[in-house]
Order: sequence, then structure tokens, then C-alpha cells
Amino acid sequence: MDRNTPPPPAPRKRLTVTDYILFAMVAGVIAYAAYRVNDVLVYNWNWTRVLDFLVKEDPESGSVVPNLLLQGLATTLRLAVWATILATVIGIVMGYWRTSANLTLRIISRCYVELIRNIPPVVFIFIFYFFISSQIFPALGVEDIDRDGAFASSTAFAILFGDPALFSNFLAGMVCLALFEAAYITEIVRAGIQSIDRGQWEAARAIGLSPFNVLRDIILPQAVRKILPPLAGQFITLIKDSAIVSLISIQELTFLATEVAATTTKVFETWILVGGMYFVLCYSFAVLFAHLERRAKRARR
Amino acid sequence: MSLLKNLKQLGLAILVAISALTGSALSASADGVLEDILKRGTLKVGMSTFVPWAMRDKQGNLIGFEIDVATKVAEDMGVKVEFVPTAWSGIIPALLAKKFDIIIGGMSITPKRNLTVNFTIPYAHSGQQMAASTKLAEGFKSRDDFNQSSVTIACRRGATPCNAAQKLFPKATVRRFDDDAQAFQEVVNGNAHAMISSAPKPRFWSDAYPGKIFLPFGGENLTKGDEGFALRKGDHDAMNFFSNWIRVNTSNGWIGARHDYWFKDQSAWKDMVAPQ
Repeated sequence: MDRNTPPPPAPRKRLTVTDYILFAMVAGVIAYAAYRVNDVLVYNWNWTRVLDFLVKEDPESGSVVPNLLLQGLATTLRLAVWATILATVIGIVMGYWRTSANLTLRIISRCYVELIRNIPPVVFIFIFYFFISSQIFPALGVEDIDRDGAFASSTAFAILFGDPALFSNFLAGMVCLALFEAAYITEIVRAGIQSIDRGQWEAARAIGLSPFNVLRDIILPQAVRKILPPLAGQFITLIKDSAIVSLISIQELTFLATEVAATTTKVFETWILVGGMYFVLCYSFAVLFAHLERRAKRARR
Repeated sequence: MSLLKNLKQLGLAILVAISALTGSALSASADGVLEDILKRGTLKVGMSTFVPWAMRDKQGNLIGFEIDVATKVAEDMGVKVEFVPTAWSGIIPALLAKKFDIIIGGMSITPKRNLTVNFTIPYAHSGQQMAASTKLAEGFKSRDDFNQSSVTIACRRGATPCNAAQKLFPKATVRRFDDDAQAFQEVVNGNAHAMISSAPKPRFWSDAYPGKIFLPFGGENLTKGDEGFALRKGDHDAMNFFSNWIRVNTSNGWIGARHDYWFKDQSAWKDMVAPQ
């Protein structure tokens, strides 16, 4: 930089009149668009019909229980959590293989990543669901789990996996999603491992650590810190991508929303509401991850 | 010798691949659908939400003509019924992949579909009806009025209405939507002249939007359809059972009575679905 350039001004902390005018203008445009909607759209707005699908009154106990949309949100959340766990495991293994000295492992992981990254998610999910899950799941006996068994009818099972009757349906969606997202996590993990200087490997090996110990004690702890932000972004993407599995009739939020929209014929209310629900879900995770990141940074100091 | 062994392995691999691709049709015929249902104690029914065939009440439970029919079938078999709500565009592949035993989903029998699945005798006779925009299609009387390049017709994709639209109005632009409600909204918004859907939905809609939507041709159905249960190919025992179930329940008037309850008008069940 030129020595004569004055130092950049300190970032502004306070809003000025210009900012408020700008905000007001943006708000004005949005308000005008909302007002105009009724002119171009001949539509009888009816929010109560759709909002009724959030919660209902249980006819037996009289207490308020989740209706279709909140049930769907719970399934989406379960899908996201389990798919994240599975995708992380696959991603770490594949990511390590991508950097492995073993050619076979490198070929396998490279094929996996390129195959998944280069076909559209919808196509992958259709192929996986109809050809693979229908072959593998019956062989594993997933379809015939004892629904009245001690585990399947327990509260823990309901919280972790939802309705036992929908378990194989849930599992298929979860595995699809995890396999799909793991390809992206693989690349993030690979980048993390490769960002650690080669010299650290050599030094650690020189003092007699086994390759596994080097990875576990030296490389991964440093790599994880670097890849946390992109990883967090990928997890939030996963929540949004979970809507794709509605195509294979996994009973999550988007699928149940299509049911509600078809029943009530209130398309816009349904999708605006569901969009809002996804936003709240994803934004909460974004805030949570940002908080965790700040804490990790402070802890390192 | 080793070449022979390799060939054998290759052959086996191809066999496995083929059976995977065909959704293992072989094992489907080995054990009958009926035996599977009785052994499991549940009849798994594939369906898709479609007013008034199958829809959700205020509690989120499934109700409708189809639901009544499937419940009665299961009752007569002495098993429980389990509904598998499925996206319409993927309902046949899901049947072939054994996600459920049977489609009771208001599916019209068409020769093309019949090449992939088996149909029972019809249990309902639907028709395609048209709902048109009062503003755009004002004065449209005959079918020729709608068969113009300036006319846009909306319908649900992958279903009978779109085929009817193309066949009856080849000159018109056909716009496909994921569900009926979206197709209908295009008409109300004035982006399409008319939409085609299974009766009686267009009639319900014209009731809901009086003055904006009308039924052309005096509400007469454009086409007639026959709806049957769909089953995987190769199981004649199940076909025979379900077809005869329909025959018996048509003769004794049960199916007709349920059909009237759901299709005649909405008054009988409107309170179950809508709070107003």
C-alpha cells in the first residue's frame, strides 16, 4: 500500500439519517408490493384454515398437541440431526481417504464425491430410493421391525425416530440425505486436512506416532477448528435440502405441506407459513453455530 | 476353466443388476400379495391427497371416499389398514418398489398405465370437468372456443387431466402444475383461461368463487374415466380378490352410497374439513 494513503476510517457504529431514509424506502417498496398483491391476485386469504394445521386439540385428553405441520417440522428436525451425524461420519472417513497414500482408497473416495456432486440431487434420490433402498432395506429387515416391541413403542423411540410405522420411510430419507450431503462434507474435511502443513505429519511420524495417532491427536484437532465455519454452513444447507426428500414421500415438513395445500386449496398461506418455519429453524441454527464459533475462539486464546 | 468361472460371475452380476432394476419382480410372484397382507396383518395402501377422494380433516386425519373404500377392504379381509401418502408423480414406481400392496388412489385406468401395473375392475367412474375464468373466457360456449392458440389451460401434471387437455384442445397452451390447487389458482389469477380436473372439484371451486369462476358446457364432463385399484403385475389371485370385492360391494350398493356421500355435494362433510 502507498505510504501516503490515509488510514481507512474506523467502521461506523451508529446509523445516520441517510440509513434511516434507505430503510424506510425498502420498507415502503415491500409494503407497496404487499398492498398490490391483492390487485393482481384474486385470492380469498384464509389463514385460520392453514394455521389450524399447526396445533390441534386432542379429542381424548383435550390438551393441545401438534398437528400435521408441526409433526412435519419435528420429522424434518429428526431427519436433519440423524443425517448430519451420518454424513459427518461418512465425510470424515471419505475425507481422510481423499488424502490417503493408498491409491485404492483415493479412487473410491474420489469416485464417490464426483458421482454425487455431478448428478442432480433429485435424480440421485430417485435412483437411491427406488432401486437401492427397496433392495437393501427388506434384506436388513427394516420393514418388519416389531412396531409393538418394547423399543419401538417406547417414548425414546418416538422422540428419536418418530412414528414406528413410518420408520423405514424415515430411514430411507435420512440415508439418502446423508449420502448426498456427505460428499460435500468429504471435500470440506479434505481441505481441512490438507491445510495442515506437511511438516507436521513428518515431525509426528518421526517421533514414532502411528499414522492413526497422528491423524487423531495432531491433524484433526487443528483441521476441525479451521473447517467449523464451512461445516456449519453445510449443516444448515442440509436442513434446507431435506425438503427434496418430500419427492419420495418422506413425511417431513414439505411433504405434509403439499398435503395441507391440496386439502385446504390455500396454497399461498401454506407455503408462506412453511417458508417461515424453515427460516426460524435454519436461522436458529445459524445463531447457535455463530455462538459456538465465538466461544471456541475465546477458549483458544 | 478360470475364463468359465469369470463368465459365470459376470452372468450372476448381470442377473443381480437386472433383478435390482426390475424391483425384483421374481420374488413378488413367489409369495402372493394376499398372503403377505394376511401374514403382516396390515393392508398397505398407497394414495395421494385429492379432494374428495382423500383429504385431511381438521385433526390431520385422512378422510374421503378412497379412505372409506380402503378401510372397508381391510375390514373385510380382517386386517388393519395403513395408508402411505405418496406424491402422485412417484406413486407407480413406489408400488413397483413394494412400498405398499395396492394403490387405491382414484387412478384412472389407461392402457399406458396398464402396461406397467394391473388394474381391478372399476370401483368409480369419474370424469374430467372444466372450470373457467369468467373474465378471460367470457362468452366461451363450445369446445372450439377453448381450442385456440391464445387459450391457456392449466392442469395437474402426470395425471389424466393434462392428457385430456392436450387431446381435446390441441391448439391451446397446456400449463402443468404440481397440484390442482396451483392449477386452479392460475385461473383465478387470470393467467389461464381454464383448468381441467377430476369432477367434482371444479364444481366445488366455482361455488367458492362465485362470479369469478364458471363451469363451461353446463358443467358437463369432458371425458369419462374408470378408476380401479392398481396392483403389481403377476398376481392373479390378488386381482381376482379385489375385483370381486368391488363387484360385491357395487351390487349391494355400498360403493354407490359412499360415492354419493362424498361426491354429490360438500354439505355432508364440509364441517369436518373447514372451520367456516
